[in-house]
Amino acid sequence: MTTQNIIEISGVEKRFGTFVAVRDLNLELKEGEFFSLLGPSGCGKTTALRMIAGFQDHDEGTIRIGGQDMAHIPANKRPANMVFQSYAIFPHLNVGDNVAFGLRKLKLTKAGINDRVAEALEMVELGGLQSRKATELSGGQRQRVALARALVMRPKVLLLDEPLSALDKNLREAMQFEMRRLQQKLGITFVMVTHDQYEAMTMSDRIGVMFKGQLKQVDKPEVLYARPCSREVAAFIGGMNFLDAAVTGEADGKLQAQVQGFGPLTIDVNSNVAQRGPQLLAGIRPEQLEISAQKPEGYDGYLQGTVTNAAFYGENVHYHVTADGLQQPIAVSVPNYFHTVDHKQGDPVWLGVQNASVIDLGTREA
Amino acid sequence: MAGILKTEAGKGLALSAPASLYVGLLVAAPLGILVAYSFWTQTYVEIDKTLTWANYAEAATDPLVRHLMLRSIAIAGAVTAATVALAYPIAYFIAFRTHKKTLWLLLITIPFWSSYLLRVFSWKLILGFNGVMNSALLSMGIVTEPLTFLLYNEFAVVLTLAHAWAPFAILPIYVSLQKIDRSLLEAATDLGCSKLERFFRVTLPLTIPGIIAASLIIFIPTVGDYVTPSLVGGSQGKMVANLIQVQFGPANNWPLGATLSLVAMASVGFVAILFVILATALGRRIR
Repeated sequence: MTTQNIIEISGVEKRFGTFVAVRDLNLELKEGEFFSLLGPSGCGKTTALRMIAGFQDHDEGTIRIGGQDMAHIPANKRPANMVFQSYAIFPHLNVGDNVAFGLRKLKLTKAGINDRVAEALEMVELGGLQSRKATELSGGQRQRVALARALVMRPKVLLLDEPLSALDKNLREAMQFEMRRLQQKLGITFVMVTHDQYEAMTMSDRIGVMFKGQLKQVDKPEVLYARPCSREVAAFIGGMNFLDAAVTGEADGKLQAQVQGFGPLTIDVNSNVAQRGPQLLAGIRPEQLEISAQKPEGYDGYLQGTVTNAAFYGENVHYHVTADGLQQPIAVSVPNYFHTVDHKQGDPVWLGVQNASVIDLGTREA
Repeated sequence: MAGILKTEAGKGLALSAPASLYVGLLVAAPLGILVAYSFWTQTYVEIDKTLTWANYAEAATDPLVRHLMLRSIAIAGAVTAATVALAYPIAYFIAFRTHKKTLWLLLITIPFWSSYLLRVFSWKLILGFNGVMNSALLSMGIVTEPLTFLLYNEFAVVLTLAHAWAPFAILPIYVSLQKIDRSLLEAATDLGCSKLERFFRVTLPLTIPGIIAASLIIFIPTVGDYVTPSLVGGSQGKMVANLIQVQFGPANNWPLGATLSLVAMASVGFVAILFVILATALGRRIR
C-alpha cells in the first residue's frame, strides 16, 4: 500500500483534572479510509475525536492532519468537518442555508454556493429540499442534512460522532450502507466514533477498540473478530465462550493445549496477544460450535453436556449447554434452517469443535 | 349545578371563573369606563355625556400632546435599547461563562429587595447638585463647579429606568441563551466561523425571541411611567403620563385624560407590533 497517511496521532494524552481520558494514543489513518473508534461509553473515543476536530486541546503528543501539526490550529481552521451526534442543525435556518452555512465563509459567487448546495443535497438524496424548514425534518433527514453540510466543505477528513445512534433500527441499517457507499464514492477519510460493534464492523475498513482511555487493538473487522488481542476485546465484539486451557507444547506456530471440557486441541498462535504462559485462555465463538443429539463426525474436540436453555432468535437459535467441570454454560448459536428448536431444555447433547475455531487469548489471569 | 361541574367544560369554567371575574371587574370594566369618558366632555359644571370626538380632535391637534407622546416613545425606546444592550453581556456571562448560575441570578434580583421609590431617590442623591457624583468630581478636582446636566432631564430618566429594569431584560435573554444547544456553536466553529462570526450568525438570531420579550417588558410600562420622570426628569424629562396625571388631577378634565390614556395605549401597541415585525424580519435575514 502506498497511500499516504492523512492523520498521524502520536503519544497523545488528555487529562481532565486527575482523570486521564485518553492515554498514549498512537494512530495512523490512511487517505480514503473508513476508520471506526469502538468502545463502551466513557472510554475516551469521543474525546479522541474532539481532539482531532480541535474542540479539545491535547496535553501531550502531536496530532497531524495532512502532514501539518494541529497544535496551534483552531477548530475553525482545520481541514476536518464533523457530523455531530445531535446533528446540530441550525433551527433558525432552512435546509439550503444550513448546508450553505460554511460555504458563505468562502469566496464564492451566489450561483457557486447554490450549485454546491444542490449537489451536496443530491448526494444525500435530499435534492430540491433547500427551502424546507429545519424544524420540519425527520430524524433521518436531519442526519442527511448534517452529512451534506459537512461534505459540502470538501474536507480531507470527515469526523462522525455516533452518527446513527439517534435513528431507529431499520433506518440505521439503511444509513450504514449509504454512508459506506458515499465514503467510497468520495474517497474522503471517515473517522467514526461508535459503541455499536455491528455498525463498526459493517462500515469500517479498520476498527480501533478503546477501553479506559487506551487504544487496545487496531485491525480489520474480520481480524478483530478472529484474533482479538485480549479477553475484553473478545468479549466486546460478538459473543465468546471463554475456556481455561493448559499448554502442553508449542511447535510451528501451533499450541498443544488441554482445553477445559473439550480435551486436547491444537490452537493457532495468535500474534496479537501480548503475553502467553502455560495457563492459557481459549475462546470459541458460539456460531463455530456444532450441536447434535448424537456424536457428530469429523470434529477435533467434543463435549458431552445438557441443554439448560434454548431460545429462538429468528435468524438463529441459541442454546446454553452445561457439563461437569464448567464454571459457565457454553453458548451455542446455530442458523435457523427449518424454523425448529431441535434441542429442549434438559436434553443431553454433543458439542463438536474444529481446531481452527479455537482462539488463543493469551495468558489467563488468575 | 352539580351536573355541570362534572363535565370537562364545566370544570374549566369553574376553574377559570375567579380569574375571569377578577380581570373582568378590575381591567375590562375600568377600561370600558375609560372609553366612555373619552367620548364625553368636561364642562366644568358637570360631565356632558353627549358622545363626541372632540377630545380625540384635541389630542390630535394639540402640539403639547404630540410632543410629549413622541418624547415618551423616544425615551422608552432609549431606555429599552440601553437596558437590552447592557443586559445582554450579563445574560451571556451567566449562561456561558459561569457555573454559579443560581448565585448570579440571585444577585441580579437583589435590587428588587428594596423599594422602587427608594432606588429612584438614590439616583437623585447620586446625580444631584450636591450629590455623590458631583462631590466626588469636585474633590478630585476634575470639575470646578457642580455639573447640572446630570439630573432633571431625559438622561436621568433613561439612566434610572435602565437600572431599574435590568433584571427584566437579563432574565428572558438568559433563558433564550441557556436554551441554545452547545453543539450548534461547535458546529458553527467546525464550519469555519470565528467566535465573533459565530455570535452574529448563530447566537444572536437564536436569542431574538428573548430580546423581543425583554424589549416589550421594558418598553410598554416605560412609555406610561409616571414616577421616574416626575422625580428625576425635571421639566425636560416630562412624559405623557405626567400630562395624563394633570388631566385627572389639577386640571380636572377626566374626559381628556381618558382620551390621552387610550391614545397612549394605541401608540404603544402600534410601536410594539412594528418592533416585533421588524426584529423578526431582521433575524430571518441572517444566514
